[in-house]
Amino acid sequence: MRRVIMMTGAGALLLSLQAMAATSTPAGDDAAVMARGAYLATASDCTACHTAPGGKPMAGGLAIASPVGDIIASNITPSTSDGIGDYSEQDFARALRKGVRADGANLYPAMPYTAYAHLSDDDIHALYVYFMKGVTPVNEPTGTTNLPFPMNLRFSMKFWNLLFLKDGVITPDPQHSETWNRGRYLVEGPAHCSTCHTPRGILMQEKGDQWLAGAQVGPWYAPNITPDVTSGIGSWSRQDLVTYLKTGRIDRAQAAGSMAEAIEHSFQHLTDDDLKAMATYLGTLPAIRTGDDGSSAEEDNRFERGSPGSDLSFRGTSYAKGLKGDSEGAQLYAAHCASCHNYDGQGTADGYYPSLYHNAALGGDTASNLLAAILYGVDRETQNGHFFMPPFGDQPNAVTSLDNEQIAALANYLLERYGNPDVSVSSQDVQSIRDGGPASNILMLARVGMAAGGIVLVVVLIAVILHRRRRR
Amino acid sequence: MSHPSSAEVVIVGTGVVGAVMAEQLLDAGISVLMLEAGPRVSRGEVVETFRNLPLGIKGNASSSYPPRPWAPHPMPRTGNPDEDYLQLSGPDEYAQTYIRYAGGSTWHWAGTCWRLTPEDMRLNSLYGVGRDWVFDYDTLDPYYNMAEYALGICGPSDPDLQWPRRARSRPYPMPHLPFSPGEEKFTRVVSEALGYTNLPVAQARNSGTPYDGRPACCANNNCVPVCPIGAKYDAATALARLESKGAVILSNAVVHRIETGENNRIQAVHYLDPQKTSHRVTGKHFVIACNGIETPKLLLMSADERNPTGIANRSDQVGRNMMDHPQIGLTLTLEEPYWLGRGPVVNSGIMETSQGDFRSEHAGAYFRMNNFARNRYVTFDALRTGKVGQALDEEIRRRTACTVNLVAAHEILPDANNRLTLSDRKDWLGLPKPHIHYDVGDYTRRSARDYSMPIARRIASAMGAVEVKEPKGFAQSKHLMGGTIMGNDPSDSVVDSWCRSHDHDNLFLPGGGAMPSTACGNSTLTMVALAFRAAEALVNQARGASA
Repeated sequence: MRRVIMMTGAGALLLSLQAMAATSTPAGDDAAVMARGAYLATASDCTACHTAPGGKPMAGGLAIASPVGDIIASNITPSTSDGIGDYSEQDFARALRKGVRADGANLYPAMPYTAYAHLSDDDIHALYVYFMKGVTPVNEPTGTTNLPFPMNLRFSMKFWNLLFLKDGVITPDPQHSETWNRGRYLVEGPAHCSTCHTPRGILMQEKGDQWLAGAQVGPWYAPNITPDVTSGIGSWSRQDLVTYLKTGRIDRAQAAGSMAEAIEHSFQHLTDDDLKAMATYLGTLPAIRTGDDGSSAEEDNRFERGSPGSDLSFRGTSYAKGLKGDSEGAQLYAAHCASCHNYDGQGTADGYYPSLYHNAALGGDTASNLLAAILYGVDRETQNGHFFMPPFGDQPNAVTSLDNEQIAALANYLLERYGNPDVSVSSQDVQSIRDGGPASNILMLARVGMAAGGIVLVVVLIAVILHRRRRR
Repeated sequence: MSHPSSAEVVIVGTGVVGAVMAEQLLDAGISVLMLEAGPRVSRGEVVETFRNLPLGIKGNASSSYPPRPWAPHPMPRTGNPDEDYLQLSGPDEYAQTYIRYAGGSTWHWAGTCWRLTPEDMRLNSLYGVGRDWVFDYDTLDPYYNMAEYALGICGPSDPDLQWPRRARSRPYPMPHLPFSPGEEKFTRVVSEALGYTNLPVAQARNSGTPYDGRPACCANNNCVPVCPIGAKYDAATALARLESKGAVILSNAVVHRIETGENNRIQAVHYLDPQKTSHRVTGKHFVIACNGIETPKLLLMSADERNPTGIANRSDQVGRNMMDHPQIGLTLTLEEPYWLGRGPVVNSGIMETSQGDFRSEHAGAYFRMNNFARNRYVTFDALRTGKVGQALDEEIRRRTACTVNLVAAHEILPDANNRLTLSDRKDWLGLPKPHIHYDVGDYTRRSARDYSMPIARRIASAMGAVEVKEPKGFAQSKHLMGGTIMGNDPSDSVVDSWCRSHDHDNLFLPGGGAMPSTACGNSTLTMVALAFRAAEALVNQARGASA
């Protein structure tokens, strides 16, 4: 479905480019600008949020789950009735960089404007040209976002922006290579890596001192991608990272969930030079050690834990008896997993079904991605093939709907044998991932704040702002 | 616990035919209640039941599906009629297998999806034998397309490798699967020595790609008795989706009576639960899709004052014309290793031998070399050699590589004397067991004698067989057809061209029972195409009735 959307978008672009070339207007420059805009829109993965599954390109409507409720992505086609057709380039730039709509209302930071703030004027222009001329207008309204009080007060975002929105078109750093500077621009700007990979603070702001050090995003965990050898991806070569962004997998890590979508929609379509640039830049970031095993040996990282093997002590009785014994996890593994991942967890020779030992989803400090993969499956279609693991949650196409206790027993068996034996999960943990990930307490905090002191929260925010300003 | 007791359409049976009908009805906004005699189990449970079986009985597909007392189905025969479910008589045994589990017998089918040819549907006009269908191939073609997209069929895109040999109106949804090493060799040998084309089997299996929310085949070579990952379509994969669309599915609900009312319309069915309590379920329309044995059995069991010989049986054809694809399987020992077992258990076959003017004299045949990994079958013989240790391993390896199973599957003609009746012997619930009298018939016997076995021997010789084991009689293909035969004349057929009973205008009997000819290829795809046709008629009828 998503692939179809991408192709339709690309086809529409191609057609319009051809149409422009056929006219007598000085189309050459425009076409080049528009092509760059289209590329930037892909690099920025606009479609991930602004195209609903089965919906028209950029026509919005997708409900984006946030810890405080669903945020409905807006129609960003050049429709004058329902989209951004009336936007001037200035309006467009303000939305991207400041998170402010043409009518002055604030956007929620589900729109990663703190990252897009880094976009250059030229790129903003190219994106504007693309959205105005390369995207087909869709005159259909989307639903509206209705967050609970006090999050429904969009003006509160003004204070949030004062605190957390940094100015900042990125200027090249002459100390570094052109490649590095390009990589920095992409990582911090359009690709908005930190939106998912940086943990957030109490007010949902990205924590600057933990930049790219890993964060929970809904049911999935966006891992530490700093160059730390133990906690991050310091053990990867630059080519590993390029391959991963291009195909969604290397032998010890596979993209799923929203990262699989990012690769489908965005990264696989970027040039090899740009992917190399991003890998180059990421490799020079400060390494951040996370988790409580700061003393771990370098080779003891999440990509190298576990070993092949299996527990078959339940064999020879019945499935029902196997589930009741001490080997419940092993019995569940045999019944539901081993036919693809093999009885000893080694997967298939071509890696289509990955090995479970030496696998990032099982070796890390959190079991979120293991639980999410079991509950939601994996669906990733790239030029490299269509990778699909069916879900075991309560979906209509679940091979079998396993309950929380069963998934906990299975996950603990897998973690013990193939992953990080120091991590274990409970059935409550499984329920949390089943519910879409741990809920944020920001809503509760805000409401308590409101109840306790009326506008205390606002006062505190203003105080903080003044304090910060004074320090400058 | 309260039992749902009504729906617009009540479907008895949750196999592939019932599941396909249900989805069409639900998508048209019509409420559906499905009744299943047997239990509903998870895929993992079936897989583990299979793995825990002793090697000696792993080969019987039914062993992985132990029947519940209230829903007996055929198990390996004991010869004791009090223990065996099917009561058999006649020169040949109609010793079929099927299972009464939610999802039905597609749980353990191979997934083979041959279409009929236009000639297969006109046996009487062209060859003066059997019965013609009441419509032609072009009428069935769009429903075949629907069936192939619903089940997810992988098949060849090269027209020279497609069956039947005529332009397809729609390509297969997925490409065909590659051949195993043994199949590649077989394809070469039969082409060079006999001029035959070994075709890729069109099959309900995801080839290298996910389809319909199910994963790609990863070649467990375990399609029979169960695909452990759901890469092969079976109706069990559809049940949760039907429920998400609003279907109510009751398992362990053994329908034992169909109730008629005014104008001889069906007004209810009655089912027994495992506590032997009876429940009544009403509806506006009824679909009986319990397979080629259980459907005629239920119709006969439901005889009432209006229908003294059974429901839908004014023609006295219910339970008659019982058909199958009588097959002969040869075990060959070859000089050279062939190596079977990579990929699905049935993956290629020779279909051209099913067609020809000879059909006025004898049946055609479809030849296939099964692609089951052979170690399961050869291990006992290897043990009997007395070898141990490495020598035994080598013997198993040699036999695994150098033996094959070559099958000739034949067509059979409808014969009113091949008949299912109700036995005096009763099952656990006190319901009559089915009795089937069966004779394969001269038309098919002549084929084996004069046609198929001579071809099989030539194939064996070309393959370099040093030993050929030929069984004496026919075995069953478990393709149940004919018991509710289709026709335009209500005096000699049970259902009309939409699989609607001639006698009851709100009763549909889709599936293999309706097929007036068998051809040689597996029947499921045609059954599903008929289900799509029946669903179309039923949706129109339901909308007309409610408008």
